[in-house]
Amino acid sequence: MLVSARAHGQDGATKATGAPAASAKSTAAAAPASRPLDAEITSDTSAQFYEMRSPTGQTIIARRRLTTTLGVAVYDLFDKVDDPRAPTVTFRARLRYDADYGGSVEETAINRPDRLVPGFSRGPVDLMYGYIEGRRFFNGLLGFRLGRQYVTDSLGWWSFDGGQVKVTTPYYFAVEVYGGLEQRGGLPLSTSRFERDGVWRGDRSGYERDPSLYPSFQPSDIAPAIGAAVESAGVTWLHGRLTYRRVYNTGTSNVSQFASGLRSPATYDGTRISQERLGYSIDATLPTLGGIKAGFAYDLYVKQMGNVFASLDWYTSPKVTLSLDYDYFRPTFDGDSIWNFFMAMPMNDLGLRASWDPTPRLGIAGGVRARAFTVQTEPEKDLAFQTSPNALSEANYYPTSAIDPMGGANLSGRYRIGEGFLGARAVADVHRTGDRVGMDVYGERTIETRYVLQARTGVWQWNDKLRTDRDATNFGYVLGVGYKLFPRSLVLADFQHDMNRIAGQRFRAMLWLTIALAK
Amino acid sequence: MNPAAHEDETTEETRRGSLGALFVLVIALFGAIGTAFAQGEGASRQSPPVTDTQADAGSDAASTQPPVGPAHTAPATGAPFTSGLAPLPGNARVPLGWLPPGAFEQDTGPSTAVYPPQKLTIRFNHKFHVVTQKLECKSCHPGALTSQSVNDVLTPKPTLCDGCHGTDHTNLNDVQAGDDDSGQCAFCHIGYKAGDGNRVAKFHIPHSNMVFNHQKHAARNINCQQCHGDIHELELATRDQLPRMRGCFGCHQHPDSVSRGDAKSSCDTCHVKGGASEGGLLKTTFASGVLNPPRWMHNAQHAPDFIQRHKYVAANDSQFCANCHKEEYCTGCHDGRVRPRSIHPADYLNMHATEARLATQKCTSCHREQSFCLGCHQRLGVSMSGPTAAREAGRFHPPRQEWSDAPRRPGHHAFEAMRNLNACVSCHIERDCVVCHGGQGIGGGFNPHGGGFSSGCATQLKRNPRPCYVCHEPGAPVLQRCQ
Repeated sequence: MLVSARAHGQDGATKATGAPAASAKSTAAAAPASRPLDAEITSDTSAQFYEMRSPTGQTIIARRRLTTTLGVAVYDLFDKVDDPRAPTVTFRARLRYDADYGGSVEETAINRPDRLVPGFSRGPVDLMYGYIEGRRFFNGLLGFRLGRQYVTDSLGWWSFDGGQVKVTTPYYFAVEVYGGLEQRGGLPLSTSRFERDGVWRGDRSGYERDPSLYPSFQPSDIAPAIGAAVESAGVTWLHGRLTYRRVYNTGTSNVSQFASGLRSPATYDGTRISQERLGYSIDATLPTLGGIKAGFAYDLYVKQMGNVFASLDWYTSPKVTLSLDYDYFRPTFDGDSIWNFFMAMPMNDLGLRASWDPTPRLGIAGGVRARAFTVQTEPEKDLAFQTSPNALSEANYYPTSAIDPMGGANLSGRYRIGEGFLGARAVADVHRTGDRVGMDVYGERTIETRYVLQARTGVWQWNDKLRTDRDATNFGYVLGVGYKLFPRSLVLADFQHDMNRIAGQRFRAMLWLTIALAK
Repeated sequence: MNPAAHEDETTEETRRGSLGALFVLVIALFGAIGTAFAQGEGASRQSPPVTDTQADAGSDAASTQPPVGPAHTAPATGAPFTSGLAPLPGNARVPLGWLPPGAFEQDTGPSTAVYPPQKLTIRFNHKFHVVTQKLECKSCHPGALTSQSVNDVLTPKPTLCDGCHGTDHTNLNDVQAGDDDSGQCAFCHIGYKAGDGNRVAKFHIPHSNMVFNHQKHAARNINCQQCHGDIHELELATRDQLPRMRGCFGCHQHPDSVSRGDAKSSCDTCHVKGGASEGGLLKTTFASGVLNPPRWMHNAQHAPDFIQRHKYVAANDSQFCANCHKEEYCTGCHDGRVRPRSIHPADYLNMHATEARLATQKCTSCHREQSFCLGCHQRLGVSMSGPTAAREAGRFHPPRQEWSDAPRRPGHHAFEAMRNLNACVSCHIERDCVVCHGGQGIGGGFNPHGGGFSSGCATQLKRNPRPCYVCHEPGAPVLQRCQ
């Protein structure tokens, strides 16, 4: 279906006619499959039907969700696709519509403040990404990206509208600079996923007639951003990336939390810092011995280390790897957020894990971990406000130990069968405030290259020590059946049924449709 | 009877009934899965395809099902041939030094995804031909010097053997045996039986799932041994003598860089690019296996728990991931609108509060709490800041006297906030905190700052005074300490 031999070679043509893919794939793979000006249109659609209940069961929300994406891509705009040295230019874009028809119109009506949920939209549309990318220009020296794009590194996953230029030098390092506007919720075709947390922010258009309506809900405005990175290049066994990013908040912010004008100032205007962070990550490997990965993210505004991680792998045999993982985390937020200045103690995680591949098809991994939440054990010194409870030893409780421990373990396995698999995972987490333990067994199998079967079943138990009425043991299963229409295109329906004493019987039905048309 | 007790019994009976039905359901479920997998297993064992060109490399295209691997056979004279059936006599282990560069001690062989399993039905002694008979590699594999594609067949045509063995393979439907033992069909063809219609087992070396140009490497004076190891020391050459990716990295190093000179190192230099059929990325799924990075490459072994550990790799070199994964693969979870069951199992809506408190997984990896979490909590009436008509009368947290009233006791929210502030941010807006933690005149004056705060607050006030003004009026004496 609409798959030309030019784009797919023998692979696509054969699969389109429904011949056994096992033979088609092997044959096609031998030939360079790609040709100049490959293009594709893809779409993923999911429909979900389920209910959400509040902890008391008093409120029930019907979710009738439809999420669909439409992607367009053009690859290899230049005519030397089979030359790995040739420059390449690619265009990729994806639009998303994420609707909840179970949502009430009143929840978005500004004239119904008793029902209005600020920021909620029944059918938001966003451009997930849309950029043109060039690589390997000037004999591999220059690359660029222009448009809405992601940046992923030790500072996290981030999105902006703008341009990025990368110069790969002949001296084993590359320099990357970028600038533009951070993707922010409340602005056209945008989501809030990629802005820093800690600020309740969104589209306040329509709130002008009553500025006192939800003053804590901040208006969105453009956020200029710049960044740079220096990265090693050309060496496999050692890779490092030093990255820096700065984002500004602009426009008006509601400062008074109660009612506009009752406190001074009611609003604050001006360009101010949203985030300024520095990160580094490194990865070094000795193939016969092991490897190490490490990194950090430092918040230059809060002047706190937000995250430090390190992982040591030891290749004890060709099939066994032992690992020691360490993770330090302290929450930091957007520069507009008051929570940056609340006392937040770091979490320290230490994990020991092993993975074993008895056969090429079978893999097993498991580990144990311990976390030390830290807490305050004595009155704070050098406080600006000495009457604060934090500074008072009298009439206050302080734990004798700063460490609030938590333990856990996990075990998982996977057996590959062609393109399918059979897997299992078990998890246990134990802490003073709650435990969770459970196991899932799952599998997926494609029969005769087109019929897809999926299944999952599991038992999970959780104990909430702060709310014992929320304890439950859940048994659930998921059954899915699908049909591959043509390459990369699938229609699938699955049904989830969970049983526990809180929810009783909980059902969730899902429909998936994935379409890929290629030229 | 006590009505409550009766109700308990009824509940117990119902529970027993439910458990029985549950047991039957589980059995049926696993039976169905087992049947499906058992049925599918046969399909996955299909033989790799044989093309016309591949058949040229062997013998009779109309052969019977070939045996897999070496098998002992005997010539017409009855004396067994024992050489050339394995790399070394007695199928001894090939020393590491004779394997291709990049092979490991206790080597497990090259990837089946790149080099599909072969069916070698020819007995052949490389050492005899190279060392004793003084033949060069190119004597039998001349195409290796000029080949530009893995589609090329580089094994010798059977007519090449005729000169020495006295056979005649000109017409494969009427092959003539030679006069002496070395010219008998069974001398080379494993499993040949004289009374079997002159049939021989099919010889099959599938094309490699990669891009390779022998000519370019030969032109740079890279000899056979540099990639294939010491085949001249071996009898039968098997898949184990095919190049290892680690060996290629002697010249090609990822990520690609102009600093590497002519040996370009982008993944598609060697790996098959899928074009639009793979979203412009590498082709990773083949009939013979799935292409996954080895553990020595960025420590990126895709073990069953990789979902918990992939952050280390992605944080360091996301472009490495992007060779095989498109953005939507990542957004499926990290900007997800559909709950991934591999991360959020079972009835996660009821379980998630416990996990959020444990922070086993950092919710912020995929969710912005002041948007995703807060919005849902407000709609459900759980949050203090939600619309009044939706707000529930019930209290989520423990009793106020324990949770929020002064003085602090064990279980006070201050300790919960200190050890996992994100859990608070997922449900509360700043106003909820300012009510008590705002400075005198705005809130209750309960200072939330940590020790040493005032010594570093000047810069923060200068760069963004907005959060300061939420709790302190600009002229407040306490704020002047930061100016």
